[in-house]
Amino acid sequence: MRRVTRSRLDVAALAAAVSSPKHGGLSTFVGVVRSVHAGRRVKGIEYDCFIPLAERELARILAQAEKKWPARVEAVHRVGSLKAGEASVAVAAGSMHRAEAFAACRWVIDEIKTRLPVWKKEKYLKGEGRWLPGCSIRHRHP
Amino acid sequence: MTRTIELYGRLRGSGLGDRVKVELPPRATARQALAALKTALGRRGNLLDGCVLATGDDVLAAADLVPDGGRLAALPPVCGG
Repeated sequence: MRRVTRSRLDVAALAAAVSSPKHGGLSTFVGVVRSVHAGRRVKGIEYDCFIPLAERELARILAQAEKKWPARVEAVHRVGSLKAGEASVAVAAGSMHRAEAFAACRWVIDEIKTRLPVWKKEKYLKGEGRWLPGCSIRHRHP
Repeated sequence: MTRTIELYGRLRGSGLGDRVKVELPPRATARQALAALKTALGRRGNLLDGCVLATGDDVLAAADLVPDGGRLAALPPVCGG
């Protein structure tokens, strides 16, 4: 499965990939481009990405999640030009119980936001766009 | 040796486009490569604050040697999601 894609996200397919008759809990998270940010009307976001490293880092995040919880976890991140209201990232976690599914899903999206080499340039209805500030990954590699 | 460093995120607004060639000494470290990139950025060198150097496999620590082949990228602070 390609986990970094320019295509529209298929959340149902992602959920199906982690579902099992043994799983009593299935949790999904979908991140969506907001139409307003910091008081400015947003028409879309340009997602930039260093794809080879993003694919590897996302695989590492998912493997770590599956070690931390008895869960199957999948995620996909969209890149390219997205309009407000479009899904940019989706995570799905299936587990025997809801607590593990919720926890794994939450952990994965938090790790994605601080580890994946992805950058966002917001485009506004009025005025120039701007690159959003981020989280340096230097601290993980001193 | 001459190496190409790919630029991402805010670094694409540096005026250098999406990649820049730098001259590195033999057995250069990631720190030296970033220093060479900073020189290339000139007065916009502050765009490198918080940036790291990476290959397609992993992020390099400052003291890591730059691999002889493969892709090299300068990565600003990330903000996926």
